[in-house]
Amino acid sequence: MRLRNILLLYRVRLRSRLVQEVFAVLGIAVGVALLLSSQIARASLDGSLPQSLDGVVGNMRLQLDARSPQGFPERLLASVEGLPGVVAAMPVLEQRATLSGPRGQASIILASTAARSAGLGGPLLRHFAATQLERQQAIAVALPLAQAVGLSPLQVAHLQIGSRREQVFIGAVLLESEIGALTDSPAAMAPLPYAQRLSGMRGRVTSIYVQSAPGREGEVRRGLRRLAAGRLNVQSSDFAVRLFDQAAGPANKSALLFATLSALVGFLFALNAILFTVPQRRGLVEDLRLDGYSRRMIVEVLLFDALVLGAVASALGLLLGDLLSVLLFHGSPGYLSFAFSVGSRRIVPALSVAVAFGSGMLAALAGVLIPLRGDIFSRLSLQAGARRGARGARHAAEVLAVICLAIPVAVLVAAPRAATLGIVSLVAALLLLLPSANRAIVAACRLLARLRGGRALHLAAVELRSDSNRARSLAVAATGAIAVFASVSIQGAQGNLQRGLDDSVRDLDGYATLWATPYGPGNLLMTTAFPAASARRIARLSGVQSVQLYRGGLLDYGSRRTWVIAPARTVAHPVPLDQLVGGNPALVASRLRSGGWAALSQGIAAEHHLHVGQSFILPSPRPTTLRVAALITNMGWPPGAIVVNADDYARAWGSTDVSAYGITPDPGVAPARIARELRRALGPGSALVAETTRQRELRGRAASRQALASLLQITSLVLIAAVLAMVAAMGALIWQRRPHLADMKIDGFGRGVLWRALVVETALLLVGGCFIGALLGLYGQLLLSHALAVVTDFPVVYALGTPVVLTSLGLVTFAAFVVLLVPGYLAACVRPSILLQD
Amino acid sequence: MLELRELVKHYNVGEGERVRAVDGLTMSVAAGELVALYGPSGSGKSTLLMLIAALLRPDGGTIRVGDREISSLSEHDGARYRLRDLGFIRQSVSLVPGVSALDNAALKLLGTDLNRRQAHRRVSPLLEQLGLGGRLHHCPDQLSMGERQRVMIARALSTGPKLVLADEPTGSLDSRRGREVLELLAAICHERLIPVLLVTHDPRAATFADRAHVLHDGRLVDHEPALDSALDSALDPVETR
Repeated sequence: MRLRNILLLYRVRLRSRLVQEVFAVLGIAVGVALLLSSQIARASLDGSLPQSLDGVVGNMRLQLDARSPQGFPERLLASVEGLPGVVAAMPVLEQRATLSGPRGQASIILASTAARSAGLGGPLLRHFAATQLERQQAIAVALPLAQAVGLSPLQVAHLQIGSRREQVFIGAVLLESEIGALTDSPAAMAPLPYAQRLSGMRGRVTSIYVQSAPGREGEVRRGLRRLAAGRLNVQSSDFAVRLFDQAAGPANKSALLFATLSALVGFLFALNAILFTVPQRRGLVEDLRLDGYSRRMIVEVLLFDALVLGAVASALGLLLGDLLSVLLFHGSPGYLSFAFSVGSRRIVPALSVAVAFGSGMLAALAGVLIPLRGDIFSRLSLQAGARRGARGARHAAEVLAVICLAIPVAVLVAAPRAATLGIVSLVAALLLLLPSANRAIVAACRLLARLRGGRALHLAAVELRSDSNRARSLAVAATGAIAVFASVSIQGAQGNLQRGLDDSVRDLDGYATLWATPYGPGNLLMTTAFPAASARRIARLSGVQSVQLYRGGLLDYGSRRTWVIAPARTVAHPVPLDQLVGGNPALVASRLRSGGWAALSQGIAAEHHLHVGQSFILPSPRPTTLRVAALITNMGWPPGAIVVNADDYARAWGSTDVSAYGITPDPGVAPARIARELRRALGPGSALVAETTRQRELRGRAASRQALASLLQITSLVLIAAVLAMVAAMGALIWQRRPHLADMKIDGFGRGVLWRALVVETALLLVGGCFIGALLGLYGQLLLSHALAVVTDFPVVYALGTPVVLTSLGLVTFAAFVVLLVPGYLAACVRPSILLQD
Repeated sequence: MLELRELVKHYNVGEGERVRAVDGLTMSVAAGELVALYGPSGSGKSTLLMLIAALLRPDGGTIRVGDREISSLSEHDGARYRLRDLGFIRQSVSLVPGVSALDNAALKLLGTDLNRRQAHRRVSPLLEQLGLGGRLHHCPDQLSMGERQRVMIARALSTGPKLVLADEPTGSLDSRRGREVLELLAAICHERLIPVLLVTHDPRAATFADRAHVLHDGRLVDHEPALDSALDSALDPVETR
């Protein structure tokens, strides 16, 4: 068939179904947008760290890395340079810091190297040499960072490293034209001696990057290991990228899981929108076949429909997705910046665009072709009537539905990560069960009509039984069911995860009633060490019962940057009970207090094949042998957590520095009063701040919400899409019913009766659809929650979210009834004369 | 011309029972001849039309349209035959809403190699001949039922078919419009020398047809009493009073 004629045929028919086509376009576009925006977020996140790293390391391929922020002596540089096969070595001091300006604070990495080595590093450090900063006592920052905190060149700012707070001079503000994409990295540069002075680490560095001669990398690596003597890490210079991938993996995977499911839901909404045009398309296919169009020609015509629909919807989806990624799905969850130098540059990979576009096209093809496959390939009949084998098909559908319901059970038990398969099965079961549910609704309606009488009820029963209304009725019920299913399962799972993280935050902050820590947005995990010089002063404050020394830090263990938590021996539960996965709580507590024991996240234990009771060597600055006391959740930190007592920590780190003071007030003394006294005692110049447990909990919750922001946004979008889909479905149902309503008016039915019948009919359809949707939604919630727990290792709290079900049901039903009340009434007011135009 | 010889089509309806929808039917329709076929519900009229339209394969017998045997056409050839050689006028008026009469009538031609302009050029005189010259650009909702049916007739005739099958073309029309449509069909049949087989309940069709037959249990019943009785039962009670 000629393309021009196919195009013409499309254009001709488009006029008659423009509204439905628009709904279908919107449905697919939402799916494409969600898929693309989550991919952009993921790519931006994954790509930002390599960018920052390249800015520092340049062509260096190996690194000798300290295991704690305290670093190692700079004099080791000479030994490294003297190793056979080493071409160049570059000492680097990297310190996590908080930069404060007139407009606010930002968590940054202060990177520095010796002036003579700067030329060996990446553009970030090379520029440092070019700006002649090495002679100055000043730092350089990128323009976006300077703007964020309100700083400009030659201005004075405050820099906080650990418990030290120093005034710094902004020597230069770097533009994108100077350092390219690195402008979005949260980094500042300083000459090495100046950075050492600022951080109180004179003569110390945190890494030495090494360039080896061609073909001699192995030899250099062995030499470095000898120098490291088991107390430093010898890694590839891009090792941090691997650590970051591991840390960001759970967030990425869960966002992708949600986005995929949302895309599936978007597609189903689109399919439902297309279902409203099925009777029309079906009539057309039949006509064309009678007119002599071959199957191939009809497939060509429908393919063209699908291609136009898919192309328009996917293009719109790409635009929406791009917009979403700018406005909502930011690529840098703040919690990862506690441990990594994560930038905020948006990266849009061509592959993601292609995948999202392809998915949209596929959805359109399936949406257009699948419902009509029977009409294209079956035998034509001139007689309208019941199809043969309907009963057989019904039984087959019910059997298939039962199988689809069983698949998620298998997924739950055997392969929780395959949650997408489970959800797809549930959706299939939902759709397969709907016709049976519809029959039950019809039976209920007939029974009601018999029992109560009433013309509206009787009319509704007749309409529901009508063959011509079946596709539309199913489409309305399916839209309601999918809307509620999606909202309940996705919102519920997100809620369970959120509750788990909230519990984890509460548990950790519950080690003490009041905390004194170095303030800064990047120190929420209390991993910044400082000398424990103020403990006695704090203990002497009136109303203070006791002060415990809390220690904690980040430690690279295998492929994970783990979070080491070290409460004082005196705390009642070193491992909060909620976080314990295996082991006797009392025994675990006594072992951890006694020392030489550690509780490990399941993920870490699994990676190192460790079980309770086994020994392992903690790769700390002073490698220490510990035994596994218990298995725990990851305490909300994706790479996992290790709990030891504070004394074991000091031994393993070779330092008595602490990360926080945990303060317990005397009985009856308000924590807020102690906090005020503490602030007064520490003085305005101190970098330590006093926070109550509640304040820390609020900060922690805010951070966990930020970490799950993309999931929350996807959840909200699904609910919005559900409401819009419901409005669209109801609108289409009512609009298409107008001629029939006019017909009924000719038969003497008044507008009130017709409207009431419409309300009853829709209410019954919605109740049936939404009930199945809610029921299977709870099943889906369980499936997704379990998958999230397995994928993320997060402490998920399983709870059947009744409020979520009610909210979703309420919103979807409200949207449907708003449409039903106003446009439904207007439709019931249709003039009978529209049928009498002859 | 259309020639049916010993045409047989049986259906299995379960438990070994078979319905003889068309049972050894032999008949012909010559070029320029309009044949009306009456029959009660279930007499096999629709099956016969589907057999002639190559939508069903007969269990026995032959169907010839012109010099072409169509009873054993493949799916593809059957479609090609319907597109080029057959005009099928349906009882249901299925025009695309929101689209002009001209475009609706040209819909079938878009399946051929003609472009839109050529298709319009082909159907415009047809529509004018059918009395729709002033309504070419009107959409279905601006046309009366009779006018819509005439657009369907124009669509069926647009490819210059060798045979026209009409399935209750007056079924949804009032008596005046029905008569007009029958007159048009007869005129087209005679002017263009196209054989037309008209399946109908409309008793007026007999007055426009060159021949009328009654189909009963898949067989033709040609004797007058049967035809009279069929016509009587087909006549509207109000009109017979």
